[in-house]
Amino acid sequence: MRSEGEIVRAMERHGDTVRRLCMVHLKNYADTEDIFQTVFLKYALSPAVFESGEHERAWFIRVTINACKDLLKSLFRRRTVSIDEVLERPAPVAPEHREVLEAVLSLPRKYREVVYLHDYEGYAAPEISRILGKNVNTVYTLLTRSRQLLREKLGGEEDA
Amino acid sequence: MRDRLREAFDSVHAEEALKAAALERVSQKIRAEEARRRPAPWGRRLAPALACLLLAAVAWGGWGLWFTPTSLISIDINPSLELGVNRFDRVVSVRGFNEDGEALADSLDLGFLGYAEAVEQVLASPAVTGSLAGDGVLSIVVAGDDQAQSGRILADMEACTAGRRNAYCWQAEPGEVEAAHEAGLSCGKYRAFQQLQALDPSVTPEEVREMTMGEIRQRIRELSGGAGDGSRQPGRGHHGAGHGRAG
Repeated sequence: MRSEGEIVRAMERHGDTVRRLCMVHLKNYADTEDIFQTVFLKYALSPAVFESGEHERAWFIRVTINACKDLLKSLFRRRTVSIDEVLERPAPVAPEHREVLEAVLSLPRKYREVVYLHDYEGYAAPEISRILGKNVNTVYTLLTRSRQLLREKLGGEEDA
Repeated sequence: MRDRLREAFDSVHAEEALKAAALERVSQKIRAEEARRRPAPWGRRLAPALACLLLAAVAWGGWGLWFTPTSLISIDINPSLELGVNRFDRVVSVRGFNEDGEALADSLDLGFLGYAEAVEQVLASPAVTGSLAGDGVLSIVVAGDDQAQSGRILADMEACTAGRRNAYCWQAEPGEVEAAHEAGLSCGKYRAFQQLQALDPSVTPEEVREMTMGEIRQRIRELSGGAGDGSRQPGRGHHGAGHGRAG
């Protein structure tokens, strides 16, 4: 079991990542609070030893995605809310980023995941396939389709 | 598009309130988990063992109370045996002090009988009735630290032997039982041995052990010129004069 100091340091390193993944998967701030606590509690109780910062980050991403999926599968999960509400609570997103985030969050979840992992976290398709437990070709297909959808929403050139 | 995505996601941070709430909840869980994993206080860990020990002590104490004789009834004629009586007036031990006494003890099932019934059975046994029918002398000595109990037993013994010939009942003096047992004699026979030894210092407990009470008293009478009779023993306990008829 890890100490409170270790948890605080992990929260500083990976809190933002967990928060962003919650935004990608969840449309409810109360669910975000639950998942945030769940992930760091798992970290506190996990005996896992991380070989590197990258290894630790991958662990947080995988655990957060799984926790979100578990919550979404739950019959008792909370009501969903609009994208506007997601972006306003608790701190409103800056106007210059709002359009992009709205576009991403309006995609079906299977596209949101791969967009975030590929375009923001920088994972290649084989790594995403391992994280999500999907076939690599499926990940390629999802990436291609998600870019098309985002271009339709945001316009602009393809850069990946 | 990727840069715009990066900048947009970069602007999303875990709120301080979110982190604080999570940290508090995780810390609570950690403390609860630590408390659960911490070994229980020694008192709680040892509670089952202590309970067993207490039960054993109570059982042992009850065992001790039941099986510890608080009074002895020494019956001597020729069979020589002693009944141990517990504080509940039940016979908890039967000990023969010579061959006849051991044979008699083996032939009777006196365990846990009331002492009065046990003595009745002893006196009704063929070995005792046979001796009494001859010229046997019956001696019953009651010993015990509990004066109330031994006094009650002695009164019952006197009532029990009231109609018998050559029967004497006595209250033993403190320490007399231990001395008798050291000599390998029952209490009643030890008293007779002391009387005989006073007249004939060469006599030994071994000689006396297989003698009948009648034979011992006969020797005493011979050595004292016909005057030695246990009923005239001075200073031998509360009922030193006993009762009985030296018929």
